[in-house]
Amino acid sequence: MDRTLTSFISALRTAEVRISPAETLDALSAVELTGYQDREFLKNTLALVLPKTIDEKETFDNTFEEFFNFVDISAQRTKSDETDGDRGDDGATSSESQGRGSGSRSQGAGTGGGASQELTDETDSEDLGRGPLAEPTSRLGQLLMRNDRIELNVQVAKSAKAVRLEEIQVFTQKGLYTRRILDEMGLAELQREINSSKESAELPIRRLGRELRHRQDWLREQVRDYVEKQFLLHADAQGLRLREELLRKVKLSNVEHRNFRLVQEIVYRMAKKLVALHSRRKKVFKRGVLNVSRTLRHNMSYDGNIFDLHWKSVKVDRPNVFAICDVSGSVSNYARFMLMFLYSLEEVMPKVRSFAFSSDLGEVTELFERNSLEDAIAKTLRDYGSGSTDYGQALLDFRKKCSNDIDNRTTIIILGDARNNYGDAHQSVLKELYDLSKRVIWLNPESRTTWNTGDAIMRKYTPYVHQAEECNSLVHLERVVSNLLRTVQ
Amino acid sequence: MNELDRLAESVDSLKNHLEVHRYICSNQIATAVYLAYHLRKPVLIEGPPGVGKTELAKTTAEMFQLPLIRLQCYEGLDESKAIYEWKYGKQLLYTQVLKETLDEVLQGAQGFRESVGRLHEFGDIFFSQEFMEPRPLLKALQEEQGCVLLIDEVDKSDHEFESLLLEILSDFQVSIPEIGTVKALREPPMVFLTSNNTREISDALKRRCLHLYIPFPDMELEQRIIHARVPEIPELLRKQLVAFIQELRDMDLKKVPAISETIDWARTLLLLHTETLDPDLVRETLNVILKFQEDIDNINTDIPSITHKAVNA
Repeated sequence: MDRTLTSFISALRTAEVRISPAETLDALSAVELTGYQDREFLKNTLALVLPKTIDEKETFDNTFEEFFNFVDISAQRTKSDETDGDRGDDGATSSESQGRGSGSRSQGAGTGGGASQELTDETDSEDLGRGPLAEPTSRLGQLLMRNDRIELNVQVAKSAKAVRLEEIQVFTQKGLYTRRILDEMGLAELQREINSSKESAELPIRRLGRELRHRQDWLREQVRDYVEKQFLLHADAQGLRLREELLRKVKLSNVEHRNFRLVQEIVYRMAKKLVALHSRRKKVFKRGVLNVSRTLRHNMSYDGNIFDLHWKSVKVDRPNVFAICDVSGSVSNYARFMLMFLYSLEEVMPKVRSFAFSSDLGEVTELFERNSLEDAIAKTLRDYGSGSTDYGQALLDFRKKCSNDIDNRTTIIILGDARNNYGDAHQSVLKELYDLSKRVIWLNPESRTTWNTGDAIMRKYTPYVHQAEECNSLVHLERVVSNLLRTVQ
Repeated sequence: MNELDRLAESVDSLKNHLEVHRYICSNQIATAVYLAYHLRKPVLIEGPPGVGKTELAKTTAEMFQLPLIRLQCYEGLDESKAIYEWKYGKQLLYTQVLKETLDEVLQGAQGFRESVGRLHEFGDIFFSQEFMEPRPLLKALQEEQGCVLLIDEVDKSDHEFESLLLEILSDFQVSIPEIGTVKALREPPMVFLTSNNTREISDALKRRCLHLYIPFPDMELEQRIIHARVPEIPELLRKQLVAFIQELRDMDLKKVPAISETIDWARTLLLLHTETLDPDLVRETLNVILKFQEDIDNINTDIPSITHKAVNA
């Protein structure tokens, strides 16, 4: 019983509902109280314990319907042919097998009909009549002939557990696992019996052999369905996680277009996490609300005469960031991601001002605020991406626009490759900014070895930045920003 | 206690009893109360404003005939307002008294060591229950017969306060550094927390709670709610006004009307002796259900068509 629940929870987890072990325990004790008898009650109960946001509730609803869908199947029961004989018990009784085996049964009606169809085909080729059948000897044979679906499903589930079906990862493994489950159930023994029955002279045994063959095919199909279903429940999301992990490490210029959405999500999550982690701090104030208990305790040693006052207040501190992004041709592959990151950062951090340039520099903060990510990036690239890079001019522009707003709490981030087309570097301007601000950080998408090759003039700028880092993957970006937020405080 | 147990015997019984107290609810909500009662886990209730989050806690207290202790959260709320505070004035007086009796205590003591020894023997009550002023959370733990604790609008409080709540929510106890741990008496309180989603509640807090989301009710439920709350209103008008409100909720508004607005409107219409909705009447009473001028202006032109729809529903 508990297994059903845990496997339901792991299905929820793959559907991206975050459930902690403590919540699993809560769910167990809640279900202990409510039982499995009433489906709606069970759903209401689990809906209170497991999903904790509105989005998660929706996912939960879908997953629950998928996972515990046996009631609907018993409703679509049609004629009571042989294989469907005991469908009636399915109802709301709850054995482990029903939760897990529901997938296999959903196909039951179709294959059941098919099996009897084949039966008549076979009788044409070899007329054995409809006489009595012999007793099967193999374990699996007996099980099949008993025609007890619930027990069969239990067996399938057990075997699946034994071969660790829940570890299935990619869809190509489906065949393998189907085979393994069948083997585990004793397919070899069954096949021996079928083979030997063919050579037997007695009609009942040959009839049995034929019947067993049909049922074996049917079983194979059931198991395949079961594996399919489990794959969807357990592995699909793992693939996603794998992809995400990979994307974080790959060079940003190599990310394919179709993965942009995913990257965007990762970037957004990253920015949010970093800001949440670093945005709060305590500051002792010299005025504000009197902290009575602390004051009294501190003054106790002075005979209770109050003269050493303590105040309480917490200041929420958000770093003041200016970001300048090169969007010219040479870094165009990276510019998208840098802008994407800027955009996400602006969404979670109120005090970011963004600038873009290739030759002339312009502020894009408002553009980012007003437009969706895609539009904002497209517009930025359109407006600023056409010229040839001129870092000197960009710095001059930046100084003109913002030197009044820069103070000793400001951090300036420059994203670019410092390829200046042999123009004037104007590093003196950067020095000025360096003196004014708290930190200047330069993120260069090229690897360190090429920083000074060709028209790249990183060497002229590095003396006037606090930190120069190579940054061309999400992992780099995360590290840099984490450092940034830590040092800003 | 038996009576309460019988009350909370099943979800249906709870639902009926809540209805007796004029709180009409869905199965999901009744299940939440059922689990809260039996598992003694706090319930975090989220949902748009005006769907009866606070009301649920109040009605539950009424139904179980338990005292309701309410803590309204706001920015800057801290432990001295939520858990306990020392009675500073009395503490200071106590030190004065102590100073005066010091001579008696130390009389005849030989040397410094003995004096200190005597001082230690002397009961120290400076930080003790006597000088402690319990605030809502501590009070809730000290209720003999148990109680319903309502922590209202927890999303308005700071992060720090959330962490402060964790101990009481998971173990029904609070730690007071000077005294030690205060545990709940026999019956731990039933705790309800409400949130309007102005900010994300931390995972740690969510993990300790059952999570109940109350959405806007559907047509049928809302009619029953109006029936329970404003029983005097004629059935035809009730149908019409609920249909109208439901229609409004699908529109793009700054603030959609909640149940409380529906109830207010029903009362207003009753007061005006209305029998059926018509566009002019709706226009005149619209400010009862819509709270932004912008919204009122926006739907002004649509009023006849929505009214028509609602009347013919």
